[in-house]
Amino acid sequence: MTGQERLVTGPSTLVAASGVQKSYGDVPVLQQVDFEIAPGITGLLGSNGTGKTTLLGMILGLHPIDGGTLLVYGQDPWHAGTEVRMLTGYAPEHHTLPPELRADEFVRHVAELHGLPGEEATTRASDALWLVGLGEERFRPMGTMSTGQRQRVKLAQAIVHDPHLILLDEPTDGLDPVQRDSMLDLIKHISTDFGINVLLSSHLLDEVERICDGVVIIGEGRTLASGSLDELRGSGDTGVTIELDAAPEAVASLGDTFARLGYSAQVSGRRVMVEGDDDSVFDIARDVCAEADLGILRLGRRRLSLEDVFLERLG
Amino acid sequence: MEPLTPQTATAATLPGVDEARIYDRGYRRYDGDRTGIAGAQRSLVRHSLRHALGLGRATRYKVIPVLVVLMAYVPATVFVGAAALIPINTEDFLPNYAEYYGFVAATIYLLAGFVSPELLCSDRRTGLLGVYLAAPLTRPTYLIGKAIAVLLLLLLVTLGPPLLMLIAFSLQNMGPDGFVEWIEVFGQIIVSSLVLGVMYTALSLAVAATTDRITVATATTMALIPGSGIITDIMTTEAGIDPNVRLANLLFLPRALIFRIHDVSGGWSSVENPTWTLWLAWAAWTLGSIAWVWYRYRRLLVRR
Repeated sequence: MTGQERLVTGPSTLVAASGVQKSYGDVPVLQQVDFEIAPGITGLLGSNGTGKTTLLGMILGLHPIDGGTLLVYGQDPWHAGTEVRMLTGYAPEHHTLPPELRADEFVRHVAELHGLPGEEATTRASDALWLVGLGEERFRPMGTMSTGQRQRVKLAQAIVHDPHLILLDEPTDGLDPVQRDSMLDLIKHISTDFGINVLLSSHLLDEVERICDGVVIIGEGRTLASGSLDELRGSGDTGVTIELDAAPEAVASLGDTFARLGYSAQVSGRRVMVEGDDDSVFDIARDVCAEADLGILRLGRRRLSLEDVFLERLG
Repeated sequence: MEPLTPQTATAATLPGVDEARIYDRGYRRYDGDRTGIAGAQRSLVRHSLRHALGLGRATRYKVIPVLVVLMAYVPATVFVGAAALIPINTEDFLPNYAEYYGFVAATIYLLAGFVSPELLCSDRRTGLLGVYLAAPLTRPTYLIGKAIAVLLLLLLVTLGPPLLMLIAFSLQNMGPDGFVEWIEVFGQIIVSSLVLGVMYTALSLAVAATTDRITVATATTMALIPGSGIITDIMTTEAGIDPNVRLANLLFLPRALIFRIHDVSGGWSSVENPTWTLWLAWAAWTLGSIAWVWYRYRRLLVRR
């Protein structure tokens, strides 16, 4: 069995970190990082400067870890870096790419660097650029492209060699809201339709929440939370969320009503979140709204947003 | 036979239809062979050669490298032409293979000065280095690929012209006598061109590894080689300092070795430095430069 076959047919956990530490000189960047990344799209969340890019570099085997264990496809990336990188795509954060180089030449070159034979690299470069929406623009020098187009070129070069996992470092950086939505849809499409696993580094909670299956949240040099998005949000499954068909002013008084009944409630616009440990809170919520003569648009189990999880874990 | 119309045309009736193919277009999974590190390095070398020669880039990027390479072939072409046209014993007035480098010395260090910064500095400035190192290449394999590209380009001007002369003279019955002597001269040409090429590759890469500014690296390389010659010449001839100072003359050192390799008397071979000291100095400059490049790249923080 070749190294590549071994890696491809490895365990279902793509990346596993346990107690990973990393410092630059005397400055600790990562102190206790533990997570497992399963197939699908995983968001790597953290504020700027929390060590996300460093962690991506370690996953690629470009920096050694100072402590703990890091396995990618079941291998230590520092020692099996070449094999790991052969099966991994990477789109860097920075936008500077060789300005006079044409997009198709660049993507083709990256395909060859990952071991694709010349003719196959040419065909796949073209296909990858079509896939990311740059089919008509593929012969343009990258220096003449907009930030959005360059982000797409970076995505195309990351997937051109059919990697097992792609690492995308802030792929929506510099994009306007429309371009951002389009890029996120594209990433989702690449993962679901072509089975390419994605590790998406971002500091934007909503974009991770929108397309990711799992998340790793890093802060203060350690893992604040990790797991599937459903698991993390489900952990705060205590109570109900009510969305009302009423003016926010009318809804505002409900907070006091719930408090009188012994329930903690948060009012936000036309939405009320009521905490409660059992299903009786559904009946209480229904009765309170009926008494206040407010129409219910939606009544459901309360789900934490990723922001709630992030803030809760940050303490 | 029924006339061919859009309504009657079928696969069987259309001319040349058996060659027609429908290619499935679009991104798909790949499970074919992969070429590994060797393929990655070949691609790096090919891309570097194209970049340095300005291929696939605007015309202004092609002018200097193409002109410099052509300039190196001008004397060889003139000598070969003269030998063919002038019906006298041309050996008396044509330079030998060792002397030839005197005519093209400037083009060699000019090319080294342009090529190495273009290949190393621009990768660091444009972030391409980060892309390379995120591919299966490592820092050593990346640097080896770049060094091969620079060396191949320098061989265009150090190996090409003498080889052209050897082949042309041989075709005109003016080459070495007999097969053994021919092979000997051929070998001397190969070794000489490598002596020049390898040393100037290492030196120019060392300068290019020191600064991110292409123009600074180019100017430094082009000043360093003749500059070292001027300074050491003044020290040895005017100030009468130890002749071993000449070993720091980057213009003299490889060419003196070439005279020794070709076993030619006079010119650069007449200096009193023993051959082994020349080889030692050559190795020291080359390995020292390589060590400096590695030192710089080993601790380089790559932008991602």
